[in-house]
Amino acid sequence: MNLQWMQTSALFVDAYRELNARKLFWIALVLNALVVAVIGALGIDEKGVTVLVWHLEMTGVNSAIFPPDQFYHTLFASFGVGFWLAWISTILALLSTATIFPELVTGGVDTLVSKPISRHRLYFTKFATGLLFTLAQVLVFTTLSFLVLGIRGGVWSFGLFIAVPIMLVFYSYLYSVMAVMGSLTRSVIASVIVTLLFWVGIWAVHAGEQFTLLGETVQNVEITAIERRLENAQTVVGRAPLEADLANAQVALGVWRPIHLSLYALKTALPKASETIQLLNRSLKQIADVPTPDDDEMNDSAVAGRGFLGSKYARRRDVQAAIERDMKTRPLWWVLGTSLAFEAALLGFGAWRFSRRDF
Amino acid sequence: MAVSLAESHTESHAVSALDLTLVDKIYAGGVHALRGIAMRVARGEIFGLLGPNGAGKSTLVKVVTTIVRPTRVEGTVLGNPIGHMPTLARIGYLPEHHRFPAYLTGRQCVEFFGAMTGVESSRRKRRASELLDTVGMLAWADKRLGTYSKGMQQRIGIASAMVNDPDLVILDEPTDGVDPVGRREIRDVLLNIRERGTTVFLNSHLLSEIELVCDRVAIMVQGRVARQGKIEELTRESHCVRIVFSGDSPAWAAEVGGVRAMDRGRHALEFPKATIESVQPTLDRLRSEGRVVHGLAEARESLEALFMREVTDPTSGRARPIGAEASR
Repeated sequence: MNLQWMQTSALFVDAYRELNARKLFWIALVLNALVVAVIGALGIDEKGVTVLVWHLEMTGVNSAIFPPDQFYHTLFASFGVGFWLAWISTILALLSTATIFPELVTGGVDTLVSKPISRHRLYFTKFATGLLFTLAQVLVFTTLSFLVLGIRGGVWSFGLFIAVPIMLVFYSYLYSVMAVMGSLTRSVIASVIVTLLFWVGIWAVHAGEQFTLLGETVQNVEITAIERRLENAQTVVGRAPLEADLANAQVALGVWRPIHLSLYALKTALPKASETIQLLNRSLKQIADVPTPDDDEMNDSAVAGRGFLGSKYARRRDVQAAIERDMKTRPLWWVLGTSLAFEAALLGFGAWRFSRRDF
Repeated sequence: MAVSLAESHTESHAVSALDLTLVDKIYAGGVHALRGIAMRVARGEIFGLLGPNGAGKSTLVKVVTTIVRPTRVEGTVLGNPIGHMPTLARIGYLPEHHRFPAYLTGRQCVEFFGAMTGVESSRRKRRASELLDTVGMLAWADKRLGTYSKGMQQRIGIASAMVNDPDLVILDEPTDGVDPVGRREIRDVLLNIRERGTTVFLNSHLLSEIELVCDRVAIMVQGRVARQGKIEELTRESHCVRIVFSGDSPAWAAEVGGVRAMDRGRHALEFPKATIESVQPTLDRLRSEGRVVHGLAEARESLEALFMREVTDPTSGRARPIGAEASR
């Protein structure tokens, strides 16, 4: 066994021992299992929903509408991933791994850096050991969910395991911030607070970008709709209000577009946590073959959507279709590539500072 | 001439565990911790580094072990430049204020540092058991470090520093927190290490300890090496012959040597750089005048006296200020 491999193995075994010594690791693992147990306790039949031995009759929710495999896939995607893994489990993981980097720079760092290991490798290996936590948690959660889906839903869906790498990537965005803050400030509390604020920050940028995208799209659809009407307008009297509305829509577009472009540019530079989770949700829905709302439903929504964001002519269906088209133009490399580039740059900075520091 | 100098340099590397010709360190805050340190530690010796608080001892050790980045460094450790990564596998190091992970057992801690220096698994396990036995911690080997006393952790630290069979072991205050029995045991361990040909670099405040085990010492004051060499060499100038007698001090005593009053009515007559033979007439004279001679011995300055002399400002007669000076 060469020296590098021996050191890496030793650091991983050490990380396992550290996690093992922390009660929170086991608490989080048990909580993950409990959440899957709750999902597994739910069932669906032709009359409604079952909870263990109890039966709840529901006219709108039964196996005729939701086959059991779709039912469990939906539960896994919406509750398991969307709520549990993306929020609660991630917070637990952040809290459990928060001490790794402050400990590294305040604890036995002098003994470690006096060994034949480069500081960069030590830093990145410690980072990788922190990811072990999430790997263990997500792996347990996904494996148990896979078993529940197989036993209760009758489908052995190996596609569920896509959650493991995607959640690991998602967690690594946040953990990179915590690692760098932990090694710079040496404070567990500061690193946790900054990481949570960063998470809120990127969520706010995402929400702002999505909202301004909606605003821009509504105006674009509005302009297209007005222009179509103008083509059909025969009289000057009929054209006048349309031309006034067109001018208003163009002014509004001139306001929405630069704000959206600015937020889009900012978002491009930041990790895209929400998109990464959406990526997983989309994959899971494709695996489950969950149907999208049918056209009739969309038409109803379109009528109800008139007047949205000050528009008179844009229909919700058209707006939604335009947004979906826009979102589809954002490739995988943009979602994951730019996020990982941010993470790499941040970790590179952290490792550079760590390698230049006196202990 | 150039060839002979190169040969001499190579030879020096071959016999030196540590050969520093110029080490400077200015910390970010402007503190000039090391000022042109030059120091040589021969292979197979126990070398003691002394100095008051803030003299730069720990900084120097950290420069050698790559924990602190030097502002300037010229020199070698085990024949290779300072910072040479593979050489670090041949060095054992115990930091002064170490904090080993509380979740590890003593055995796991020793094995972990063995792995970090590239000791193969089977050998690591065997060495860990041997060393834990050597430092008297075998019975506690499988208990967590969090349950250990300071002295017990110190023993584990020494075992961890030795697990890779280093050619050079650097111990920063190894007896810190260790009881007198433990200190004696650690001293024996150090002597055993030297017996096996390992060089020991000992950084300690305990002068008596240094005096007991070290072949050579260096005294650092305010970032500089004030003195270095064998203890006998450093204290040679203070060598004297001392006669202790009871009764009044004779009037002629001050003419032949220095007289010092002692307790219980005794006096000491000291003859700098004299020999036992050369003071025999004085001895006879004291006896002939009816004085009882209680002792005749060669004496020299203790390491403590030498240390105090070096750290005292000759102009004010007071100890030099603690710590290194800010860079100007």
